[in-house]
Amino acid sequence: MLKRKLTVVLGILVLFSMVLSACAPAALPAAQPAAPAVEGEASWWRTAAQTAGCEGVTLRGISESTPPSRYAADVLAKAFEAETGIKIELEATSWDEMYTKAINDMQAATGIYDFVYIEQDIIYQYLANNYLTNLTQLLADNPELASPDFDFAKFTTFIDNFKDAEGNIYGVPMEAFLKVYLYRKDLFSDPAIQEAFKAQYGYDLAPATTHAQYRDIAEFFTQYGRDNGLDLWGTTVQGNTGHASSFYEFFESIAPTFGVYNWGINMDNWKATVENGGEMNSDKAKEALAFWVDMLNYAPPEATASTWDEVAASFAAGRAAQGWVYGENAAWIATDPDRSRVVGNVGVALPPVAEGVMEDAESGVGYIGYYDGGAFGLPVSSKNQLCTLLWLQYIGQESVQADWAIAGSRIVMESTYDDPKVQEVDAKVDGYYTLMKEAGPLFRGAPPFPFHAALREVVQPYIWKALSGELTPAEALDQAAAAADAELVNLGYGQ
Amino acid sequence: MRSNRMGWALLAPTLVILAVVGFLPFFYVLYVSLFDWNPFSNQLGMQWAGVNNFRRLVFDGAFLDSLWRTGLFAFTSVTIELALGFLLAQTLVNSFPGRTIFRTIYVLPLVMAPIAVGATWRLLTIPGFGPIPYYLDRWFGIDFRLATYADQAFITVILMDVWHWTPFVTLTLLAGLTAMPKEPLEQAQVDGANRWQVFRYLTIPMMMPVLLTVIFIRLMDALRIVDEVFMLTSGGPGTATQFIGIHIYRVVVPKTDYGYGSAMSLLVLYFTIVLCWLLFIALAQVGKQRE
Amino acid sequence: MKTSTLRKTFGWIGLYGLWIAMSIITIVPIYWMIVVSARSRVELFDAPTLLITSFYAPNYIKPLTDPVFQRYLVNSLIVATSNALLVTVLALLATYALSRWRLPGADNIFFWTITQRMAPPAAFVLPMFLIYTRIFKIGDWTMFDTQIGLILLYCVFNLPFAVWLMKGIMDGVPVELDEAAFVDGANRWTVLTRVVAPLVAPGLAITFILSWIFAWNEYLFAANLTSVNARTITTGLAAFVSVTGTNWGEMAAVATVAILPALIFLVFVQRYIVTGLTFGAVKE
Repeated sequence: MLKRKLTVVLGILVLFSMVLSACAPAALPAAQPAAPAVEGEASWWRTAAQTAGCEGVTLRGISESTPPSRYAADVLAKAFEAETGIKIELEATSWDEMYTKAINDMQAATGIYDFVYIEQDIIYQYLANNYLTNLTQLLADNPELASPDFDFAKFTTFIDNFKDAEGNIYGVPMEAFLKVYLYRKDLFSDPAIQEAFKAQYGYDLAPATTHAQYRDIAEFFTQYGRDNGLDLWGTTVQGNTGHASSFYEFFESIAPTFGVYNWGINMDNWKATVENGGEMNSDKAKEALAFWVDMLNYAPPEATASTWDEVAASFAAGRAAQGWVYGENAAWIATDPDRSRVVGNVGVALPPVAEGVMEDAESGVGYIGYYDGGAFGLPVSSKNQLCTLLWLQYIGQESVQADWAIAGSRIVMESTYDDPKVQEVDAKVDGYYTLMKEAGPLFRGAPPFPFHAALREVVQPYIWKALSGELTPAEALDQAAAAADAELVNLGYGQ
Repeated sequence: MRSNRMGWALLAPTLVILAVVGFLPFFYVLYVSLFDWNPFSNQLGMQWAGVNNFRRLVFDGAFLDSLWRTGLFAFTSVTIELALGFLLAQTLVNSFPGRTIFRTIYVLPLVMAPIAVGATWRLLTIPGFGPIPYYLDRWFGIDFRLATYADQAFITVILMDVWHWTPFVTLTLLAGLTAMPKEPLEQAQVDGANRWQVFRYLTIPMMMPVLLTVIFIRLMDALRIVDEVFMLTSGGPGTATQFIGIHIYRVVVPKTDYGYGSAMSLLVLYFTIVLCWLLFIALAQVGKQRE
Repeated sequence: MKTSTLRKTFGWIGLYGLWIAMSIITIVPIYWMIVVSARSRVELFDAPTLLITSFYAPNYIKPLTDPVFQRYLVNSLIVATSNALLVTVLALLATYALSRWRLPGADNIFFWTITQRMAPPAAFVLPMFLIYTRIFKIGDWTMFDTQIGLILLYCVFNLPFAVWLMKGIMDGVPVELDEAAFVDGANRWTVLTRVVAPLVAPGLAITFILSWIFAWNEYLFAANLTSVNARTITTGLAAFVSVTGTNWGEMAAVATVAILPALIFLVFVQRYIVTGLTFGAVKE
């Protein structure tokens, strides 16, 4: 009896798996956006692939599952394969998993991955460990494989993040965004709201340029939502109390606008505490954290559970009147009715700053927010260096940039801004791309720390505790700075 | 009596697999734990550290906090699971209309992936679209925000574990109760023992081996819980639900502090082994008494 | 007599009350997952209602028609089923050996193999990765990103447990039965497959089920020891936690699909669990 039942169950399992395997190749992927045209047999790419002996080779890469990566996997990889006969397998996974696997591979020099996603903030760790191949050198050594359509000079200044001290380049940028200030144009331009706001605060309602204004607006809309029975709050806060995203929002988007740069670490002696010459627990930093934690009072209740994902989702659901949102989300929030309830109502502006910060940013001393993004790099351990070089040049052509920009709201080349398709989208997202082009230099990526992740792990619990109210902002930063000093010594910096 | 060679031959495949896939990595971890090794520190490569990593652990506040928190979690959830599981198992011993349906529904959580359990509970508890915060607020006026209030997070994690694992406890205890000889119980009732006496002096002692086995298994798994909690709270708010498995994950994976993390892992393994060894001895004792 | 009836009635009410409550508590989280899986992204933040008002099919259609996900599902089926079969067979052989021969040192193996399951797993990811990529290597072929790699790895977690579970049951089968069969001219293999195995069948069934569930559900190692070819459906869930808004609807849909096979499986065999889970601890 039991035996027969087990046989039946096993039979079903086996059948099920056979049916599934039979279906698998038959099912076609959903329709994709138009791929770049294939130039045919005699193309430069085909010849180069033959020269390098790459036909039939499979290249494997790993990236975070973002729209730009998926576009690379679904569209560019297929076009490249048709063009050259080189197959691309791009593993798109979650942010945490991507790092573990890429680092394991490069650390052990196993050569599983031929190209890896390098986020702007992790590149210094990778360079310090000699994980990456010098692309400038590799191109110079193999002139016959240098595509006429590829030139590092065509990229925006964002590519500077992927250079070493001598100016050699280690990554081909594939995405770049600003973390900008988004606001709800429909609410900000409603005459009744404008009147009520002016009556209460004595000045006109407009996108905030100072932190005081930001707070007023947040308070006003939270009250407005409550009075009208709406699911509306004054601001977003990327305040997850168990995830690195809150650390990043504070140190890369909030603290700089109060004049605290580089996580408050003195890069001359690698110290964080004020006593040792750092700024992590300075009065300005404490003011910044107090301001940000206070914003939780005007944020939707999910704020303390929100990473960058949920912040964008909350804003797209129309639950916040303004907020700091990663620019990669700006386009879909503003244009995609399948995912967003605020289509057509998204305004884009520069984030509010404290006095003197804008001057700092213009002179290059400081910055007003986070310039995020990443590149594909070539691990030293890859066994297919030259074939990967071709792929990296392929995605770095000017001709593939515009469609990619529209699919993933990312721009890495100057010329992409002028493309008519991009300009069309630009109009729909309230000039996000124009803002990125013009104000881009005011933003900056993470500081060049080779110990980025290790230090973040030590500091972030204090930020979480400040957000959950377990510590006051001042206590949190005092403890965080002390812990940072100790960890830096432990890591061998600033003895 | 018979040649042992045949016996070893039958055991061999099991031993080979466990040695290669099980003990090899263990020795590697042991080896790494004797070094300072973080690829992202100023000194590249592995630096000999001897037992320094273990010495540091004793003074590591975050580690000890996490250990204590894990113990509290494991003790509380296993106790609840055991009490509830025993009660439910007793009701299932005798057949009643609908028993099979109830039992089938009830064991559903058992087949769910821990990571899916975490995701499910996250869907339930996210403010904004989860029903739990919504109804708690509407019906009882409770401000339920898992990611802000440490106590709520801790309690929710325990409830999630109870939801996930009580079915297993119940089924195992039910198996034990079903296999238990009926005569002593009937005899006791004839002798006029009341229910409590029967339970206290007959059922519990007879069930002791099964109870200890269940405690053993549940404790072992509760002490190394990661997936569910990571999905639900990622260890937050702050470090309120950062159990030892998550703590070690953070040290070894994002922080890439391989040497120190390995030492931590071994110390925890040692504690768990000691704890389980004690239970194991108790199990053996009970076994002997019965023979 | 009257009090007894009253007591009985209350007993029945209590019994059904308890079980109805338990069933609701068990069902609600799973049900909510299905509700979420039926919602489109813009509906996610609507007020929670326990009714499924509309069904947003793309949440299911998109992953189910995606060849990548189909491959994950097939991988999961292959890995879980092969692992469970392997573990069941090995456990049968091993416990038969342990119970019929006096093997010096073997009793300790019984405890020490269990410790394999106790270690916090994170620290073992890197060693496993190194072993699979550097030691188990034939030419360009490595154990990394293969189904066989996962199948063998899960033995470490499932085998000790299986041996423990089966040992008690195996001890319950009298040696006299073996001997009677030998007298009838049967060989060792026939005894094991024809006499012993049927008697311990409930134990084998539960070993198979629990091993299968564990292998189907494991996340950490499956995520880190595979890349594109051998990824399982459980690790596929993580891909939905992405930058552009965690796609809860689609994730819930995949999670629902992922528990279905396990669920069907469980419904078929669940009543044997009760006979098999005794750990041999209660002997008549």
